[in-house]
Amino acid sequence: MTGSNESAGVAHHQTAKQAILFRAEGLQKNFGGVQAVRDISLNIVDGVVFSIIGPNGAGKSTLLNLMSGLYQPDSGKMTFSGIDLVGIPAQQRVRHGIARTFQKIRLFKHLSVLENVTAGFHTRHQIPPWQYIFHGSAFRDDQQNCRREAMELLTFVGLQHRSQVMAGSLAYGEQRMLEIARALATAPRLLMVDEPAAGLNAAEVEALLGRIADLRKRGITVVLVEHNMDLVMKIADRILVMDYGQYLFEGTPADVQAHPDVIAAYLGTDFQ
Amino acid sequence: MLSFGIPMLSSRRFWFVMAAIVIGLLPLVFTDSYWQTNLIVCAINVLLAVGLDFVLGYAGQLNLGQSAFYGIGAYTSTLLIMNLGTPFWIAFVCGVLLSGFAGMLLSIFAVRLRGHYLAIASLGFAVITYQILLNWISLTQGPLGIYAIAPPPPLGIPGLPAIEFSNLANLFYLTAGFALCTYILLDQLVRSPIGETLTAIREDEVSAASLGINCQRWKVFAFAVSSAVAGAAGCFYASFVGTLVPDAFFITESFTILAMVIVGGMGTLIGPVLGAILLTVLPEVLRGIGDLRLIVYGVSVTLVVLFMPGGMVQAGRLIFGRLHRRAISAEAGSAP
Amino acid sequence: MLTVILQQGINGVVVGSLYVLVALGLTLIYGVLVQINFAHADIVTLGAFAAYFVTHLLSGNYFAGIAVALVVGGILGWLVNATIFLPLRERGSELLPLIATIGVSIMLQNAMLILLGPIPYAFNTPYSSQVIRFSGIFLTVQNVLIIVVSALTIALLYAFMKFTFLGKALRAVSQDRETAGLMGINPNYVIMLTFVIASALAGMSGAMLGPVLVLTPFAGTTVIVKAFAIVIIGGFGNVEGTIIAGLLVGLIESYTTQFLDPGLIDIVVFALLLLTLAVRPTGLVAEKREENV
Repeated sequence: MTGSNESAGVAHHQTAKQAILFRAEGLQKNFGGVQAVRDISLNIVDGVVFSIIGPNGAGKSTLLNLMSGLYQPDSGKMTFSGIDLVGIPAQQRVRHGIARTFQKIRLFKHLSVLENVTAGFHTRHQIPPWQYIFHGSAFRDDQQNCRREAMELLTFVGLQHRSQVMAGSLAYGEQRMLEIARALATAPRLLMVDEPAAGLNAAEVEALLGRIADLRKRGITVVLVEHNMDLVMKIADRILVMDYGQYLFEGTPADVQAHPDVIAAYLGTDFQ
Repeated sequence: MLSFGIPMLSSRRFWFVMAAIVIGLLPLVFTDSYWQTNLIVCAINVLLAVGLDFVLGYAGQLNLGQSAFYGIGAYTSTLLIMNLGTPFWIAFVCGVLLSGFAGMLLSIFAVRLRGHYLAIASLGFAVITYQILLNWISLTQGPLGIYAIAPPPPLGIPGLPAIEFSNLANLFYLTAGFALCTYILLDQLVRSPIGETLTAIREDEVSAASLGINCQRWKVFAFAVSSAVAGAAGCFYASFVGTLVPDAFFITESFTILAMVIVGGMGTLIGPVLGAILLTVLPEVLRGIGDLRLIVYGVSVTLVVLFMPGGMVQAGRLIFGRLHRRAISAEAGSAP
Repeated sequence: MLTVILQQGINGVVVGSLYVLVALGLTLIYGVLVQINFAHADIVTLGAFAAYFVTHLLSGNYFAGIAVALVVGGILGWLVNATIFLPLRERGSELLPLIATIGVSIMLQNAMLILLGPIPYAFNTPYSSQVIRFSGIFLTVQNVLIIVVSALTIALLYAFMKFTFLGKALRAVSQDRETAGLMGINPNYVIMLTFVIASALAGMSGAMLGPVLVLTPFAGTTVIVKAFAIVIIGGFGNVEGTIIAGLLVGLIESYTTQFLDPGLIDIVVFALLLLTLAVRPTGLVAEKREENV
């Protein structure tokens, strides 16, 4: 399985015309004297699964937060599909097509599973303003479409039978999947997932792997921050290794596994 | 709402028509002026409570400044009518717009703050507004108050005798009718994607932002709507009470409205209606506990928060749930 | 002119130090719990009344009154924590505890109103009539007492926080409750202790405010709203900031009374509050609290 993904990844990069979807240059972020992210640059090709790995404290989540707009970088540049991202707040980046999940699950715990997903349609409603009060036909159509698409997304993550359950009472693995479904409701071009495999058992990780592969097939670019090396090596096209907030190495899974610095910093002791 | 498995009972229109009928019948049942006065106060409180629930129960913002917007609405419309001779309904609209605008201003600046800061900033705003009403004597007459405020002018409908609002029953119809319309308006908003947006903000702003929601803008929206509604209540209050004093808008008023929302059940829209009715009517029914009224408010808020945070609505659901399990499962899919 | 400025300056420090005591309680609670106790105001009022009764009716010593107020405050603080904040902690709602304390506050105020009536009580200590005069400046011994006791208390509190184990535990819990728990500190115990200390401070400040302010069941409310302003201006959870802000507000109050109009005090203080919130919401002195995402 590694082989076939590897060659697919290699094949992607051999195509001369591959568009770069997300470009970052020299990103820096300080927190009260601690350099969480130091001079990070990356290019993410459209349609790949791009993974960011590194030991705890390497700055992966901070990098993700910079990319999604939760934090603004102290310096550096970022563009998404040619659009300059620096200074643009998180909620606006969603409209450009960037979505994310969180390392610490942030679901709307008191809302139902379905309501969590439909909340994600915020940027996509087609309702004239007056129909928010006088619920006319455009309103009804929109609500039907939302419901339908929400159920499709829930089916994609395997939660279609739990749509009425309160999100807070889902099992941990199900909550992670719901977060992904909710993020997908924004119809993103780039989906960033922060440690989605954390706390999942082997079967759930396999299911996750299949879903990420599905997303790639649908043309969605995935940025995967992960600790589960098994998952990363199987699904990633390209891996960025970070340590102490800095760039350590970037390459294909095979390159990464063979690289002595990476092994020394991290894989050698932590490889699952 | 509870349908007991009967389709008609789950139709919103049915319940709104029922409410309109009840409103129509109430002054015919309670014909003495004491009770008709209470009914009007009830309607005004319903308006205030429902307005607060929009920003507190749905958007999750603890706005303690309602007393200020209530007062701004009341004083604005009154001063326009009595000093400038503005026609009532134009003054009404001005009162509503000005309080809505004040709410917008407060929130533009307050919504960057986390929950507690916002609560205190809004309380501070209420204190300042009260002090201004009290001390700007040349404008508001201060503690002496403004006297002889007329009720709304008679409404002339062609072919029918004009409706006099010095008649308490008619004034009740006007106020309660307006309250019902406001409820329906807010209900429609809340059951639309706007309601989803607000509850997302209430539940978790960070993940709401990750879904494209501009939390600041929508909080300002919720504040503006909520304060406009309070302003409308103020306009009705002024024309009903006849004498306007700043003390009616002291910060305890904010707490009273809060009590109604909490006891009724915040975030349900119907809860605050129930809470407003209960907390307005109960002290009157238990006559002789007049002074204890506020203690009752205080005790009920504390007990509700500790033991039944969903208020009367939650209590109602529990009771009916035991009696009619089918009703609960049939309603499970619909919006609050 | 200089005399006037100096006089009002001293008055400001007197009032300010009382505000500091009240505000310190609020800020300590917020520090460990990230919650606000709205009923704090009423603990101040109850402290004032407790001291009044001990001093006047039981013909006790004023200092005994202060001591009793301290104890009463501490007990009330423990009660509020045990009945409201502790049970609600599991629910995880930010706003529900605040709302519950609003309910308690309404209850207490109106219970006092019924039991004690709205007419102000004349709380006179033997010290309020003894006056010290020097170079044209007036000071009652009561004022001196207030400054001395407040300064002493603040210093003791500061030392407690910095040098004792419990004090450090308190600071640890306010910075990171989970980790503090992992290090063997019992957060619930520390929070309870914080409440007791904070409310004892409130009670004590009530005892000293009684002779200075108008003593009605609403006495606490008039102070609390300014105390909130102070806590915000100084920065929630920040002890040094609260001290500076409290004295600042006290000074603003006395100078506004002297040079403008007493009715404007609240407006000026709150305008300052809103200004602070606009410019530096985390307070003039505080450090930012980063939220963990």
